[in-house]
Amino acid sequence: MKQKLMHSVRKDWKKNWSLYVLVLPVLLFFLIFQYRPMYGAIIAFKDYTPALGIEKSEWIGLENFTRFFQSVYFGRLLKNTLLLSIYNLIFGFPAPIILALLLNEVRNRRFKSLAQTITYLPHFISLIVVTGMITDFSLTTGLFNDIIALLGGERLSLLQEAGLYRTIYVASSIWQEVGWGSIIYLSALSGVDSQLYEAAQIDGAGKWKQLIHVTLPAIAPTIIIMLILKMGTLMNMGYEKTLLLYNPSTYETADIISSYIYRVGLLEQDWSYSTAIGLFNSVINFGLLLATNKLSKRFSETSLW
Amino acid sequence: MKKKTALLLAAILTASSLAGCSQNASTEGTGTAAPEQTQPSQEAAANNTPAGGKITYWGLLSTTESPNFSNRGDEPFAKAWMEQTGIEIEFMHPPTGQIKEQFSLILADGNLPDIMEYNWLADYPGGPEKAIKDGVILPLNDIFAQYCPNITKYLAENPDIDKMIKTDDGNYYAFPFVRGSQRLCNTIGLMLRGDLLEELGLEVPTTIDEWHTVLTAFKENGIASPYCPEYTRTDLMNADPFMAAFGICKNFYIDDAGKVQYGGIQEGYKQYLETMAQWYKEGLIDADLATLKFDQVNAKMINGTAGASLGFAGSYMGTWMGAATAENPDYLLVPAPYPTLEKGTAAEYGFKDSQYSGRASAAITTSCQDVERAAKLLDYAYGEKGHMLFNFGVEGESYDLIDGEPVYTQWIMENPDGWPVAQAMSAYIRGNNNGPFIQDERYLDQYYALDCQKDTVDVWGATNADKHMLPPVTPTSDESREMSSIVNEITTYRDEMALKYIFGAESLDTFEEYVQNIKSMGLDRALQIQQDALDRYNTR
Repeated sequence: MKQKLMHSVRKDWKKNWSLYVLVLPVLLFFLIFQYRPMYGAIIAFKDYTPALGIEKSEWIGLENFTRFFQSVYFGRLLKNTLLLSIYNLIFGFPAPIILALLLNEVRNRRFKSLAQTITYLPHFISLIVVTGMITDFSLTTGLFNDIIALLGGERLSLLQEAGLYRTIYVASSIWQEVGWGSIIYLSALSGVDSQLYEAAQIDGAGKWKQLIHVTLPAIAPTIIIMLILKMGTLMNMGYEKTLLLYNPSTYETADIISSYIYRVGLLEQDWSYSTAIGLFNSVINFGLLLATNKLSKRFSETSLW
Repeated sequence: MKKKTALLLAAILTASSLAGCSQNASTEGTGTAAPEQTQPSQEAAANNTPAGGKITYWGLLSTTESPNFSNRGDEPFAKAWMEQTGIEIEFMHPPTGQIKEQFSLILADGNLPDIMEYNWLADYPGGPEKAIKDGVILPLNDIFAQYCPNITKYLAENPDIDKMIKTDDGNYYAFPFVRGSQRLCNTIGLMLRGDLLEELGLEVPTTIDEWHTVLTAFKENGIASPYCPEYTRTDLMNADPFMAAFGICKNFYIDDAGKVQYGGIQEGYKQYLETMAQWYKEGLIDADLATLKFDQVNAKMINGTAGASLGFAGSYMGTWMGAATAENPDYLLVPAPYPTLEKGTAAEYGFKDSQYSGRASAAITTSCQDVERAAKLLDYAYGEKGHMLFNFGVEGESYDLIDGEPVYTQWIMENPDGWPVAQAMSAYIRGNNNGPFIQDERYLDQYYALDCQKDTVDVWGATNADKHMLPPVTPTSDESREMSSIVNEITTYRDEMALKYIFGAESLDTFEEYVQNIKSMGLDRALQIQQDALDRYNTR
């Protein structure tokens, strides 16, 4: 059995050695930069002080995890993180697909490339600038309020309203990323065989029927792979945007796990505790990834493994 | 085969999501993922001070230095310091805003610079005693006695400072940054438009009621946001003068009976919130209170949409006066005293910076090979010549002696290259920022160029605040760990609720419940820890 395996490996190596060499740098990259740092995650179970180092710090078991689960903010942080992620998914995921479908129907080349450029642009603006703009526009004297006042509404300091925070957060993310995200779908769309459309037209299908029966099935594999990838990073919400947009009056809806880690871990230098929270976050993430993959496997042909 | 590749792919995906987590928490200290910034420390390790060699010195480069110098070693200040002591220094600076992260990376790396300038009192997890026990820095008692005549003399003459810079066990841990006089401690206070007051025939307000009258008058005369403070900036708002009027401080403080109390649950705090909520409703406080950052406050104070604010005499009042008088020569800001409830009574509570806050104090690390020279280098600042160098710079270049008093030269006050005074000063002195030396009050009188700035010192200082401020106590390492976890939860909750009460999103009828919630987060334990630490401090 073992010999057989060795034999097939050797045979494979002889045949495909160049491929193995090609994949080596990537493998090394992951081993060195992604796997090795994972070793540091053990400080979640230790009372880590930099002066003692990772090895010499004392083991404290699950204390950091119980502290987080018992924290008064645990429920709220989890809820906020999940809700923001889910809103981002529900509204943010279909947006680039819709944009790509719309752009695909545009026949005027000049208009198409202009529209594409305009929608890509926000992606290249630094987050600091984007949040600065949002903050300024949301002031009682800002652009958003000018529009609200024009429509007869009452001026309101928008970023002070806990109820509006998620809308602002998700809408601005969509605005920033929709054009960039549509690129991959546009390329998928360009790969659809035009004979299919001709055939559909001959069968008497209108634009809408063509969309439902030709275009969407054709790009479905791309959509599903993108969805699974997105699910894998669902809970990995960076703290940067939150830190730049939130304030104590919106903590109720805005405070998420990663911003809490920032406040506790980096500002209070409680490394072990914040690692424990981060690890917990990643475990949820991994679970979500597995679940999506399983679902996708059941309902469609496409899956990661 | 296909299954295997798929598995590998899955593993890689997991890895990247997990790795993302550990990066967020920035736990790696092993060097693999350490960013470029650690390079200076590695360089330092390479030439780890053979006797007579360079002393490596790690510390923050202030924002008034960084526009003109990328390394302190290039400044005339450091050149003079090296020349006068005959000791060569190699400076290393963490990137602005990342001092704590860099500090932890260097510690994990293990090769420490000889001298590290840091807030060992507040920013070393577990406190200064723990830093000594962890083997990071040296206790300085013997070193002071052996090599440091200047600081020893100063501490003998100033027993109250001596008490502040020790741990409960009696260990010295750093060469401290000390504000040399109480007058230097009155750094934060209220200021408002004096020219408008005169126009409206009003006096500078001293009570809460008078403030209400003045702010209302401002509002009626077209000032859109009469009171416009940077409300979420903690170091400023911990000094909130309107809160002080109700006989409390925001955080931990010492009450009249000498007991430690927490401001956020007092009856006075409730009254404060009621007042603020009323003012907010009446439009006397800026409508965007929670999102105000310096840029916005800055713009509003200069263009006249705001009438009063809270801030520092130098970087706030000075900046606004300078920018606004260019357009409107009548523009005038005047400092207002810490208000009271009844007219004519002296303000009991207020805010004073501690003479020793732990900031920018230099410790000698256990990696230092040449303790004697490092100690002598640092001790120099506490002697007569060093004191002049750190506060006034080089005679003939940055200051002249006129009638025996140091006066900054024209190069400093009206820099030929157009540098602002603070930047010109920073090239020659550390007196206008901080560092391991005794700050001289004579610097302040010259740095505050305007009369209204000079007034702040006495107007803001007319309180009994130092009696109520907590001195630099040192909880034990276990206690401080417990403390930070309790205080963290409480502060988040208190700040969140404060804004809700002020905006009227939550009725003050729920105040009882709010107090109970804070207590259930472990407030009593935190009070106990602070009280114990204070008792130990008092018996030092």
